[in-house]
Amino acid sequence: MTTSQGLDPRGPRFSAGITAVLLLVVIGLGLSRANLAAGILFAVLAALFAWGAFAGVQRHPYGALYRRFVRPRLAPPTELEDPVPPTFAQGVGFVITLVGLVLHVAGVPYALVIAASAAFVAAFLNSVFAFCLGCQIYLLLVRAGVLGRATA
Amino acid sequence: MNPVLVLVALGGLVAVSTALGLVWKHTQGRIRRTDGLTVVRITDLPGVTRLARGATLLQFSTEVCAPCRAARVVLGDVASTRTDIDHVDLDLTHRPDLASRYNILQTPTTFILDRKGVVRARIGGAPRRDALTLELERILAA
Repeated sequence: MTTSQGLDPRGPRFSAGITAVLLLVVIGLGLSRANLAAGILFAVLAALFAWGAFAGVQRHPYGALYRRFVRPRLAPPTELEDPVPPTFAQGVGFVITLVGLVLHVAGVPYALVIAASAAFVAAFLNSVFAFCLGCQIYLLLVRAGVLGRATA
Repeated sequence: MNPVLVLVALGGLVAVSTALGLVWKHTQGRIRRTDGLTVVRITDLPGVTRLARGATLLQFSTEVCAPCRAARVVLGDVASTRTDIDHVDLDLTHRPDLASRYNILQTPTTFILDRKGVVRARIGGAPRRDALTLELERILAA
């Protein structure tokens, strides 16, 4: 399960920090009834989540930002991480933002603010506390039979 | 909503998230002693034919779990210090039945089994080396 191409674990946390700030902006715009602006920024965030989930976190633009501007200023990473867990987290982010976006476009009040808040909590905890979304949610999905492949 | 209220709401969201994070962090790696009624079947452990004479550190992992790697290092180290302690890593991705049977809600989760396979303690999140060592000494001394 260990891949040869390890990931600097601070990269995904840096990305989650940017995402969390942008989600706060979405929530602020949503609460201010700037529905169109909030919707557009939220759609951009959904697209960025999709990028991370389907192309992989290594190819995500935030990862490029991190490698270009942040990593040269830091000490080398003490350990490398598997890219699979943050990629899964991007997938969860994509599903949450997509559902929020669809409900928002359908005119459900506060759908966008609620979905953005849920995504914010996950991104904020990931960035600040190294919270691992895959560790908490993946197993529930496996147990519910949504994910995983039973061999027994 | 007026701009001041919006800022208050955003600040509240950040405060609630911070509180959640602190609570979550506090629970990670904590050792919880169990009632001693759960016994792990040896047939559930791949590649294991007999349990260690002292204690077995049974780690539950999945493929999408970053701290599972850190847990693997700590548990492997602790197990290598004594011949009567083994470390077993079990990937639940392919065994949802075991996640249900042993009520695993997050990974990594670690069980400390005694030599009969009785679950003596469980640890949610990456284990802390010092606390784990202390608990093992207690279990092995009993």
